[in-house]
Amino acid sequence: MISRLLSLWNNVFRRKQLDRDLDEELEAYVELMSAEKVRGGVSPEEAHRDARRQAGGIDQVVQSVRDFRAGVWLDRFAQDIRYGVRTLAKNPAFTLVAVTTLALGIGANAAMFSLLDQVVLRLLPVRNPEKVVIVRETGNHYGNSYGPNTISWPMFEDLRDHNQVFSGMFCRFPATVDIGYGDRTAQISAELVSGSYFSILGVGTALGRAIAPDDDAVPDSKPVVVLSYSFWRSYFNGDRTVVGRTIGLNRLAMTVIGVAQPGFDGVELGVPAKVFVPIMMKTEMTPRSDGLKDRPRRLSWVTAYGRLKPGVSLEQAQLSLQPLMHSILEMESLQPEFTRNATAEDRELLLRNRVELLPGAGNGLREYMRKPLLLLVALTGAVLLLACANLANLLLARATAREREFAVRLAIGAARARIVRQLLLESLLLAGAGTILGLALAFLADRILLRIYLPEDAAAEFAVSPIPDGRVLAFVVGIMLLTSLVFGLLPAVRGSGTEVTLALKDRSGALSAGGISLRRMLVGIQVALSLLLLVGAGLFVRTLRNLEKLGPGFPTDRLLTFTINPSLSGYTDEQTESFFERLNLSLETMPGVRSVGLSAMPLLKGYAWQNAIVGKDFEGAPIEQQPVLNNVSPDYFATLEIPLLAGRAITPRDHASLKYTVAVINEGFARKYFPARNPIGQRFGLVNNMQSVTPDIEVIGVIPDRKYRDLRETPPPQAYFPYYEDIKFRGMTIYLRTQADPRQFEDALRERMRQFDPHVPVVGLETVNEQIGFSLRTERLVASLSGVFGGLATLLAVIGLYGVMAYVVQRRTREIGIRIALGAARRNVIAMVMREVFILIGAGLAAGFLLALALADLIRSQLFGLNARDPLTFVGSAIVLALSAGSAGLIPALRASTVDPTTALRQE
Amino acid sequence: MPAPQTDLLQGTLDLLILKALALQALHGMGISRRIAQMTSGTFDVKAGSLFPALHRMEQAGWLASFWGESETNRRAKFYSLTKAGKKQLHTESERWERISVAMAAALRTA
Repeated sequence: MISRLLSLWNNVFRRKQLDRDLDEELEAYVELMSAEKVRGGVSPEEAHRDARRQAGGIDQVVQSVRDFRAGVWLDRFAQDIRYGVRTLAKNPAFTLVAVTTLALGIGANAAMFSLLDQVVLRLLPVRNPEKVVIVRETGNHYGNSYGPNTISWPMFEDLRDHNQVFSGMFCRFPATVDIGYGDRTAQISAELVSGSYFSILGVGTALGRAIAPDDDAVPDSKPVVVLSYSFWRSYFNGDRTVVGRTIGLNRLAMTVIGVAQPGFDGVELGVPAKVFVPIMMKTEMTPRSDGLKDRPRRLSWVTAYGRLKPGVSLEQAQLSLQPLMHSILEMESLQPEFTRNATAEDRELLLRNRVELLPGAGNGLREYMRKPLLLLVALTGAVLLLACANLANLLLARATAREREFAVRLAIGAARARIVRQLLLESLLLAGAGTILGLALAFLADRILLRIYLPEDAAAEFAVSPIPDGRVLAFVVGIMLLTSLVFGLLPAVRGSGTEVTLALKDRSGALSAGGISLRRMLVGIQVALSLLLLVGAGLFVRTLRNLEKLGPGFPTDRLLTFTINPSLSGYTDEQTESFFERLNLSLETMPGVRSVGLSAMPLLKGYAWQNAIVGKDFEGAPIEQQPVLNNVSPDYFATLEIPLLAGRAITPRDHASLKYTVAVINEGFARKYFPARNPIGQRFGLVNNMQSVTPDIEVIGVIPDRKYRDLRETPPPQAYFPYYEDIKFRGMTIYLRTQADPRQFEDALRERMRQFDPHVPVVGLETVNEQIGFSLRTERLVASLSGVFGGLATLLAVIGLYGVMAYVVQRRTREIGIRIALGAARRNVIAMVMREVFILIGAGLAAGFLLALALADLIRSQLFGLNARDPLTFVGSAIVLALSAGSAGLIPALRASTVDPTTALRQE
Repeated sequence: MPAPQTDLLQGTLDLLILKALALQALHGMGISRRIAQMTSGTFDVKAGSLFPALHRMEQAGWLASFWGESETNRRAKFYSLTKAGKKQLHTESERWERISVAMAAALRTA
């Protein structure tokens, strides 16, 4: 067996050596034989000739010996490959264009698919993730809420203790906490989890133990923490002795009991949790807000999850949970917490609320990236289609040019099957090279895409690997095979069908007539797809331009921002208040700072504080129409350079009262709630925990409409209150207008803050321009990728059109020569060729227009500031495409016009 | 060529080569000569059949080869029997004897 393998190895990889040996062996044979004859008295020359003749033709012997060697088929295969490589190398321009075309098509798809696969399609790294569901309440909650998927703590307990459909339920709450270990402090994301979180998810630990139900039985009783694996590696350098040690979370000593299994960063992909803490520690982890010990039913904050019992479907579970939910709501509707302020109608509505189950393995990132990613996947798919059309075109052209070669090979006895195999092999070689190059491209592209999409620390820890996994590879290989079949088999079948005599006799005959109409059609498709991609690119680029040009409505140059939260470092309310007062002063007096503004809500980050308001002439509106509110410092508007249109700004004097007494509103607020009236001096009130309030907040100033949540929004009605009035803030976002380039100011600011208070970490220090740039990352990604794709598509279409027209002109050289000889003017010849060019482009454009108009609605939600059927973009793209394709067609047209009739007619 | 030549029966060549190498290692030309000698010139094995057979049998593991010096001091490839080759010679000889006895008997009855 081993000697067999050895000889196979020798035969395949040491062919040259073996051939030399064989030659020498036969040489020796001939010499020995002639020597024998010489001894018998024959002259040496004659003896040698005789011996050779007797050896029966050395070449035949060599060939028949080779045929006996092991692995002959491998040999043939290698021969085919060598032949294929040689043929491709002989035509470097073709090979380069073909491989690059494929690499771009496949690379783009692999990159997109690996991102889509791992971010959008991936489920959580837990046991049977498809059985884990989110349990939420639909309808109006009648109270404060941390988000659409949250319920109150008591409702979670009711559902957990009385349901029949889950094998277990747990809940979680995401929080930001300060961690102190040694002399370092930092702000990290934590997951507050109920006791059965780990056991129900089926997530284990790499070290120590997980949080157990015992750890989560009594509020504030068990200060324990489990670290995420990646956080343990990065922050504690993978120190195994950390288990059992004490770290500070929000200055509370907590014992590390374990490290979670690698790859598990909580149930929210894209927002990796670094530590897990029993939810019973809620009060310590989120100072100033409870919700747990005081058990309010009108505050929904936990996200509840259940694991479906075996054999129970999501729909069945949802159905059988309704009676339980109804009884809970009935009980709630009778509690004072609700009845204090609710009408009979409100009660009616509350009782209509239902349980809804959502797949729990979904994630925010998944939702956020879904549309743009699917869009990009569609775009890349179109690019791949284009690439295939281009390749088919290239190969068809080549097969036509090689008809003579095939005819010769057939004539000297090559099997047709071998020629088909040869052509297929060449396609596979191209596709293989394209795939390898494409995967390398995908690797690079995914790294860049991830960086663009996710914040740096998340990108580093997020498990999206640019290395495609098995399924991605299968997908890529699938594309590769399909492409090979599409562009390989067609010319192969046509090529092998060549009639030997025809091809050898007549080169300019009609034998390739079938190819040209197919190639024209392919070019038409290319033009259509290119137009589609160009229109898309135009729309997305202009969307980005619009967003950047419009901006938030106030100047963002020389504006720095950061967030700070002393309450997480254990400061009391009074300390917090004085902290911000001193901080404001300290920053104002800092050299290079022009002005400082403090805001309870970070601007343009998607957050909003909304609340129902009451007033003399209006009732509380549904939550989507409630105004957005904010607490700001006196210099806030001056710092952001938002002018006052009427009235006055907030002054330090306004802070005297602990109640809300004054407000600055925007024009939108005035228009909506005080139409056709002078808003200054008008009054309104905030609805608080369903309590009746008197409208006693006085409007003192009006500012113009500016954006609040993000750049895409139409500015909502807004009201601003003095920030000292609300001591329950969770932290402040600071805005600094600097005199010079803010980036050169950052280090000095960090140093200043360290001196000011080393215990309170500065979070997210950046320029507002950087923040806006980051918030537009999806738009930028889509715009730049679709731009690149559009350019690529145009280039491919131009190449395709040029190829077809050059071929047409070449085939008609004789005819054109005759026309010129008979007196046709050169410009008539040009017009004749260009007419065909424009028919091709026109047909492609028409098809592209129809396609683009039909698909425009799909991308409407991704656009800003322009219509999805924007005429300027459509016409502009068509002109660009027509011009570039037209000039590509002009080259063969000009060549046709310079045909020399005598040469053309003399041609065979 | 004094003696009339006979076409080699299928499988006969292998047996003859094995037999030729039973006593000593030989190069291709030597094998050819030895076979002619063993069969009194009845079989003259030409290079066109000899070398493919030698390479095939080497592949099958019956023969081993090495480079040595011929009687005229020329470098030549020598073949010798391996263990498997000896075994093959034995079984093939037995089979051949059975066949030849049977053939002789069959021909005699006519």
